[in-house]
Amino acid sequence: MTRINLTLNGRAQHREVEPRQTLADFLRDGCDLTGTHLGCEHGACGACTVLIDGLPARSCIHLAVRADGCDVRSIEGLRDDPLTVLLRRHFHEAHALQCGYCTPGMLVTARDILRRFPAPDEATIRRELAGQICRCTGYVGIVEAIRRAGAELANQPS
Amino acid sequence: MAETKPAPGDWIGASLLRREDARFLIGKGQFVADIRLPGLEDACFVRSPMGHASLRGLRRPAEWAERVYTHDELGPFQALPAGPDIPGYRNVAYPVLATDRVCFAGQPIAAVVAPTRGEAEDIAGLVELDLDALPAVTDAVLAMAPDSPRIHDAWPDNAFITSGARAGDAAAVAATAPVRITRRLRMNRQSIVPLEGRAALAYWDHRLDELVVYLSTQGAHVMRLGIAQALGISEHKVHVIAPDVGGGFGGKNRLTPEEIAVCALALKRGHPVRWIEDRREHLMAAPQAREHVYDLTLYADRDGTMLALEGDVYIDAGAYPLWPTGAFAEASMAVRNLTGPYRIRHIALRNHTVATNKPPMGPYRGVARPGACFAMERLADELARELGLEPIEIRRRNMVTAGEMPYVTAAGMRLDNGDYPASLDEAARSIGLDAIRARQRTGEPDGRRIGVGFAFYTEQSGHGLKEWARRGARVMPSYETCTVRMLPDGSAQVLVGIQNHGQGLETTLSQIAAQELRLDPARIAVRHGDTAVSPFGFGTFASRSTVFAGGAVARSCRILAEKIRRIGGHLIQTDPVETRLEDGHVVGPSGAAVSFAEIGRAAHVRQEMMPPGVDPVLEATATYEPADSSGTFSYSTHAALVAVDPLTGGTELLDYVVAEDCGTMVNPLIVDGQVTGGVIQGIGTALYEEVPYDESGQPLATTFADYHMPCATEMPRVRISHFVTPSAITEYGIKGMGEGGAIAPPAAIANALADAFRDSGAQFNETPCTPRRVVAALEAAEVPT
Amino acid sequence: MKPPAFDYARPATLPEAFAALLGTEGAMALGGGQSLLPMLGLRVAAPSLLVDLARLPGLREVTETAARIRIGAGVTHAAIEDGVVADPSRGMLRRVAAGIAYRAVRNFGTIGGAVALADPAADWPACLLALDAVAIIAGPDGERRLPLEALLLGAYTTALEAGEILLGFDVPRLGAASRWGWCKLARKQGAYADSIGAVVLPGDGAPPRIVLGATTSRPALLPHAAAALARGEAGATLRDALLGDIEAAEPDADSYRRRCHLATVQRAIAQATSA
Repeated sequence: MTRINLTLNGRAQHREVEPRQTLADFLRDGCDLTGTHLGCEHGACGACTVLIDGLPARSCIHLAVRADGCDVRSIEGLRDDPLTVLLRRHFHEAHALQCGYCTPGMLVTARDILRRFPAPDEATIRRELAGQICRCTGYVGIVEAIRRAGAELANQPS
Repeated sequence: MAETKPAPGDWIGASLLRREDARFLIGKGQFVADIRLPGLEDACFVRSPMGHASLRGLRRPAEWAERVYTHDELGPFQALPAGPDIPGYRNVAYPVLATDRVCFAGQPIAAVVAPTRGEAEDIAGLVELDLDALPAVTDAVLAMAPDSPRIHDAWPDNAFITSGARAGDAAAVAATAPVRITRRLRMNRQSIVPLEGRAALAYWDHRLDELVVYLSTQGAHVMRLGIAQALGISEHKVHVIAPDVGGGFGGKNRLTPEEIAVCALALKRGHPVRWIEDRREHLMAAPQAREHVYDLTLYADRDGTMLALEGDVYIDAGAYPLWPTGAFAEASMAVRNLTGPYRIRHIALRNHTVATNKPPMGPYRGVARPGACFAMERLADELARELGLEPIEIRRRNMVTAGEMPYVTAAGMRLDNGDYPASLDEAARSIGLDAIRARQRTGEPDGRRIGVGFAFYTEQSGHGLKEWARRGARVMPSYETCTVRMLPDGSAQVLVGIQNHGQGLETTLSQIAAQELRLDPARIAVRHGDTAVSPFGFGTFASRSTVFAGGAVARSCRILAEKIRRIGGHLIQTDPVETRLEDGHVVGPSGAAVSFAEIGRAAHVRQEMMPPGVDPVLEATATYEPADSSGTFSYSTHAALVAVDPLTGGTELLDYVVAEDCGTMVNPLIVDGQVTGGVIQGIGTALYEEVPYDESGQPLATTFADYHMPCATEMPRVRISHFVTPSAITEYGIKGMGEGGAIAPPAAIANALADAFRDSGAQFNETPCTPRRVVAALEAAEVPT
Repeated sequence: MKPPAFDYARPATLPEAFAALLGTEGAMALGGGQSLLPMLGLRVAAPSLLVDLARLPGLREVTETAARIRIGAGVTHAAIEDGVVADPSRGMLRRVAAGIAYRAVRNFGTIGGAVALADPAADWPACLLALDAVAIIAGPDGERRLPLEALLLGAYTTALEAGEILLGFDVPRLGAASRWGWCKLARKQGAYADSIGAVVLPGDGAPPRIVLGATTSRPALLPHAAAALARGEAGATLRDALLGDIEAAEPDADSYRRRCHLATVQRAIAQATSA
């Protein structure tokens, strides 16, 4: 076991982890943060996407030991994040989810898209969503939700 | 196009935002893998590395011997007879764990339990298998050759069943028909890939004295039936809970060996055990789908009138049948749906449901019809090309018209109502057929070729007892049940036996209850997915839940509404027949009103206020089966516009339109979501998704690096037009529609490819139309680069 | 799909890293982990010890001289994509970085890790070869420099010796007259490449460099095509030269693969030579 110290959803944590444990399993099994979902466990579907030091990461292909000293944020830690709150509303209104399994990773990625591209157009959103698999919606609602959220942000007086 | 704007107070037709969303948006959905229990351990399986082999023995690591279970140690299991109860069908058991033979790569041989999944995989990796390879059968057509190796030794050939459909005199027509189109069409095998794989968690609850099974399933009640039977336990001691289910699409509507094994492990070990299928297991061993081969000849007149259809259909059913429905549904439905909307009166079709060394084929969104639609609609386009007609013209000339309905097809399907040609015309208008033809004459600046393709399908739903009896079903899902309960404060609970797993049924069924009870849906809870909560039901599949469960909700609510009016009338001193329900109140002709809360209070805790002779408590249960057993038919035309790179065979979807009619829409927002979701899965079938097998039965796509699904970048914005022809046989005129989106894309896209190279006659008769296959087709037709 | 058990070390200095890699049978270096972790989950790799290079000094540095820019092996694809690091290639590195897998992978995957793995379908080997980059390699006995041609030996095979660590790449600065082209063919956005064409026209009198990537082996310089292009050939002559080079680079390519290779290289050339 290896000791790690990290900030998890805004709170300092000191934990013992097995080197082989992935960050996703650490969050789910070690911390009971089950909002991070596993869809492929080889970095291809995006369901497990979380933020490490503010950057989207595939937690299924990231070792928990490497999160030592990092700031990790999962969907549970974005409950009051203003950008996520905005996206959540548009995801709801645009029917951007069906079974809901991909949704947490989708929101984390959508948030990053809006941070990197102000008011992104449809082509940009689609390109940036390429690594997120949704098996249910056909992406129409997801793309639309992100576009609307971006447009709303652009229209807000900063 | 029909605009659906419900009147105030009406909930049918309202695009209500989904109530399910809230929990998923904050990461608080609860899937099986999210359940936490003290003492929980993880299971994994030792799986066959070979496609076909004799299993001579197994050596387990001494240190972990007690954590490894073979069939004999985990059993005994009662065999589950799977498949139709019809003459000529050969049954065989799908063993929970293989004993002396393995019939596909990935078949479970032993179960391993350890505190974590990683440790279970460590132990599984130490188990040594003694296997003798046998020749593998990987092609359903070759499997029927007399000298093919056999998978099930007792069978005279590799077919589960050989059957067929005949009508008219196809041979006589064939002898004289001036035009014949003969093609072999192949839809390859794919995986189903819900984003959450299969998952099971089981433990014995000593307080309740029952086995509790959390299962990612589409139908908890039916799974309880199978689990109890397999384990030899009384059903009242099996409690199945389907929490949130991360997609199913048909594949989770079967009971699979791993799930039974988890229940047996929980009984053996005395602590909670779970198995969470990983993606490689899913791609190797979960139910797979779609693999059909069609050898067909379409006969026609010179004017394009289709006369007869003849040939063979081969279904690659995999090694074993899945409980309860078995291996025949694909073949039966493929043949019965093959003629689609066309007036073809002469058919001579044989179907062969063939065992191969692959995982069992299960139901997948559209069941059989994507293949049938692909075959028929490709033939229709080839006929059009042969005669120099527009593809939509050949369809117009042969389609059943509104005036001819109801129309019974040669294979016996009763197409009930609608306007098929109108849907075709709308799709042509919406995709801009005339403008595309002009653009094709000009050519593309980047050297690509563009093509437009159309495909039409019908989708049967709401079929009842007679239809299921005809199919010999051992479990006949010909009705659904609902219990509606009003609580003392006037809020309501709707308890149903279907399983919401992405379809928004908690929302739509609340709308139906709200419609009948005239109560705000926010005051109505919908509960499902738990055998201890809802009355018996079959679950969610076959585009059935809104038709069947919606009907059951309506009926039970009407019974309840009558009682509510009786009590309410008494409280406002009005004859109940003169009262009406309005916004959570019983209202009399004078305007006097009493709220459901007051009625609920009277019915439960203030019985002295009840009318004489009326029992306390507000609860009603009803079942529902549509008025006609032959079902009702949604239909749709899909049109795709593609651009193809003639050098690399790369295909881009430029546009995609759907012109559909699913009768009355309860929630148009959700209908559009289901259509679009189906379309992308159909696009996957058309262009991307495939699990190929090599000659020894090794699967060649076992991760998402090899198994490609369309993502946002590959998906066009789907544009949908609606027609509304209410069904005459269902509540509100609803028709099922959940599967339809997935049926037509392979046909529409292959037709678009063929259209792009119409001049050369290049043939696109195999899905997925990968760049490699497209290039092969272009080279065969000598299309210049 | 869980990784097997292994030990973990995170050395703070290069000597510690060499010692860890050489001192343990079955030790493996861990870069960004974006390819290694899936291999661990699938249990196609089973190291006894993972030596995490993330905290080694200097691996994330970028240093500039008049003629070259040195990019540390630990620089992430995303950092290159975003232009956070200086770009010697007038946009080619950024373009290539943006097309690798997905953003969440690019945030952690590193240029050095990608080259060290030498996956035939990877982008960086082909790109750096086209840019005539030189790898800087550190080992217990000191540093050495290897041009990409010499570093890349085949599929998943490099000239890195046991215990050696890739420190970074010296990439020559492209001049104002230079041009480049990049074309990648994949089944879908972010998927592994089926073919890569990379072209650099240095524009300073140096010959064109044309690279075919995503072969079944290592990326290959296409000499005849480059010579034809240098002579100003186009059309059928250039195409014939290309087909010959493609045949040499991937002798077993079937008709489909040849078409893909022809397409990517032709398009990269067209991009580099268009006005």
